[in-house]
Amino acid sequence: MKWAGIAYALVIALLSTPAGAQSDPKAELAKLKPKDFPTQPIEFTVVYPAGGGMDVSARLLAKTVENLSGDRIIVNNRTGGAGMVGHSYLATQAKPDGYTVGVIASLLWGDAMLRAQGRWAYTDLEPIAYVNSDALIWVGSTEGPYKGMSIKDIVNAAKEKPNTIRVAIVPGSMWEYILDQIEANSGAKFLRVPFQGGGAGITALIGGNVDIAQGFFSEFRGYLEGGKVAPLAVASGSRMDFLKDMPTFNEAFGSNEYLWQLVRYAVVPKGTPADRKAYLAAAVQAAMKDPELIAEYRKQGVFFDPKLQNSKDLAADLNAYADVERQFYVKTGRLK
Amino acid sequence: MEAVNGLLTGFGVILTPSNLYLCFLGSLIGTLVGVLPGVGPLAALALLLPVTFTLSPVGGLVMLSSIFYGAMYGGSTTSILLNIPGEAASVVTCFDGHQMARQGRAGPALGIAAIGSFIAGTLGVIIMTFFAPAIAAVAIRFGPPENFALMVLGLVCTLFMISGSTIKGVLMMALGCLTAAVGLDVVNGRERYTFGSVDLSGGIELLAVVIGLFGIAEILSNVETMAKTTLLADRIRGLWPTLADWRASWRPILRGSGLGFLLGLVPGGGPVTAAFMSYALEKRIAAQPERFGKGAIEGVAGPESANNSAVAGSLIPVLSLGIPSNPVTALLLGALIIQGIQPGPLFIAQRPDLFWGIVASMYIGNVFLLLLNLPLVGLWVQFLRIPYRVMFPVVLLLCVVGTYSANKNVFDLWVMLGFGVGGYVLRKLEYDLAPFVIAFVLAPLLEQSLRQSLVMSPDGAMILIKRPVAAVLLAASAVLTYLMFRRRTKNEGGLS
Repeated sequence: MKWAGIAYALVIALLSTPAGAQSDPKAELAKLKPKDFPTQPIEFTVVYPAGGGMDVSARLLAKTVENLSGDRIIVNNRTGGAGMVGHSYLATQAKPDGYTVGVIASLLWGDAMLRAQGRWAYTDLEPIAYVNSDALIWVGSTEGPYKGMSIKDIVNAAKEKPNTIRVAIVPGSMWEYILDQIEANSGAKFLRVPFQGGGAGITALIGGNVDIAQGFFSEFRGYLEGGKVAPLAVASGSRMDFLKDMPTFNEAFGSNEYLWQLVRYAVVPKGTPADRKAYLAAAVQAAMKDPELIAEYRKQGVFFDPKLQNSKDLAADLNAYADVERQFYVKTGRLK
Repeated sequence: MEAVNGLLTGFGVILTPSNLYLCFLGSLIGTLVGVLPGVGPLAALALLLPVTFTLSPVGGLVMLSSIFYGAMYGGSTTSILLNIPGEAASVVTCFDGHQMARQGRAGPALGIAAIGSFIAGTLGVIIMTFFAPAIAAVAIRFGPPENFALMVLGLVCTLFMISGSTIKGVLMMALGCLTAAVGLDVVNGRERYTFGSVDLSGGIELLAVVIGLFGIAEILSNVETMAKTTLLADRIRGLWPTLADWRASWRPILRGSGLGFLLGLVPGGGPVTAAFMSYALEKRIAAQPERFGKGAIEGVAGPESANNSAVAGSLIPVLSLGIPSNPVTALLLGALIIQGIQPGPLFIAQRPDLFWGIVASMYIGNVFLLLLNLPLVGLWVQFLRIPYRVMFPVVLLLCVVGTYSANKNVFDLWVMLGFGVGGYVLRKLEYDLAPFVIAFVLAPLLEQSLRQSLVMSPDGAMILIKRPVAAVLLAASAVLTYLMFRRRTKNEGGLS
């Protein structure tokens, strides 16, 4: 056990640090620490409730950063308005003094483009480090009329008999947008049953109240292991490591536009002093190289987007993703 | 037999000094959190979540869940003593509990609340021990049509809670439904009634509403009568429930336990709904319903039992299926996930130590809580001697801190203040505030489940009648409404 753990840590370390640059992350970080910072605890702001996927990611991150930097970190859930209250707080009210770090998800972009009404933009928050990603996955039941069907079979069925297949959605978000795309491209029609959050939809699937649910891996893993649900397709660029047999939507439909994933990353409010920003960025990035944290994240079923993991200019790469989303909103008339 | 073996495993896990200590600590913190108005189990659990990182999964979960049910014990204290609910789930305890305190019977009220909580908590965990997997399998079949019918039944039961004018009560229910409509539309995700305000886009926070209507408004009413220096109108008459109290209470305790457990199971249910429903039920079946609101001990015994067994009920879906039915159990789920454990249908089979450990700890925790709370009765009663001018600034401060701690959003404090002033005015005009709160709690679930049902139904509203459980619940609602209005019109000679 012990040897296996060390070997694993070694492999991770070799993979994640350039050859020869092996050194103590704590010492590296101490060198970057500004003289007058921090003198009080640093807040990791999470805009979703305690206990959810975002919160769990942030708390695990905080634990590791605290450990590496020796700084005190407090995770604070500023909730309300499905994230809108917290996003507005980070963009317009939080002091750019380095004591506020937002650990947020890419749902920020939709909030900024569709709901902020010009009061703030997602560029008011400066990315400092990439954390992890979750891709939207469609799952069906292992019982009932649609069992054993592939994603293509299901879309065909929804085309032949429109408005019969019930899909759980979360209104006004990617759970709904992906259906817009599928319906526009295939001519199929689904019944959209609204739920508050992906987990509630999975529950409805198990209870036989919907036919298809959409969610992240962690939300249905228990049922997958219990043989209750069957994964159909994932809305990411490539297949998932932990579900190799599940195709991507893009593979199944020969397209490249089905990309609905949650990117989690850390930000500071615009105007945070450069030395503090650099220190915080280094601290979070160092944490993201910690083999224990990576292992914890993997256990949760999130994945790491190689493009963002090895990014030279994180802000630019994230903006590129946000622009794809903007184009979708413009195309569908949601944004002018 | 499996359950007995499981339970033995559980006690084996839990009977270590450190786990017992954590269980006791959680019970203590829970009681405290319950006593402090505004500071609720959700805020306390969020605050203590990081502490559990360093504990074993069993230890962490045992502590967090004991805070949750511990808060249900403590919640009644300020309801009874100050007419200010410690938790949203203890709002109804104010109605009769505080009247009892005014009659010098704070001791029996606190005593019956603690003992009722103990009986209900223990019964809840016994049911959980033997039937958790079976119950979970049934609960998951509960879909939108059944939820809708249940919410309708809930609103109809609320009609029985109205004291005074029926028309005023129904008006308050309507207002509660309307207030609940503020925020994101459940079907299309658009904002409604937010007037472009970011703060309103998520809807209005229940805790801020409850603390405003019942906490701030109560303080305002009391400031008016500052001439009296303490709350104690009469001498304290007895610290413990009398034989007559017991005779009146044991049935409400059992009924509350059963009702609370069932309501804890369903999504969106939980301690708050359970307490309201139990009060409505007791008032409906009482021989002299007019005693309610004037210090009827049944009005304390029923709801205080119901909110405790609802905790046990709500732990079943989260532990045996990984489905949280309210924000507190969602947080417990998060705590498990942080420990690298993903509850699902295989949880009990894969981690018997954890599941049975938590179940066993609940037996012990309830005993701890009884032992903690009974001796405190004497102490709490002495609090009534504290002068207003000392007591209320402290309570006001706690209301502010508690409300802010839920979302860390200053806007919630304005909501609290607004509802406080509004509640004060409405009280002066003799409007009943309880129907407002229960409608505010039930309306979002009612709307969502109705719209979900209609979307997923091939033949419109027929889905509500074709599904047997939904049909039965709706029929019961119709009968109750008829009975209610017949009695009211007879009593009032019209609907005025």
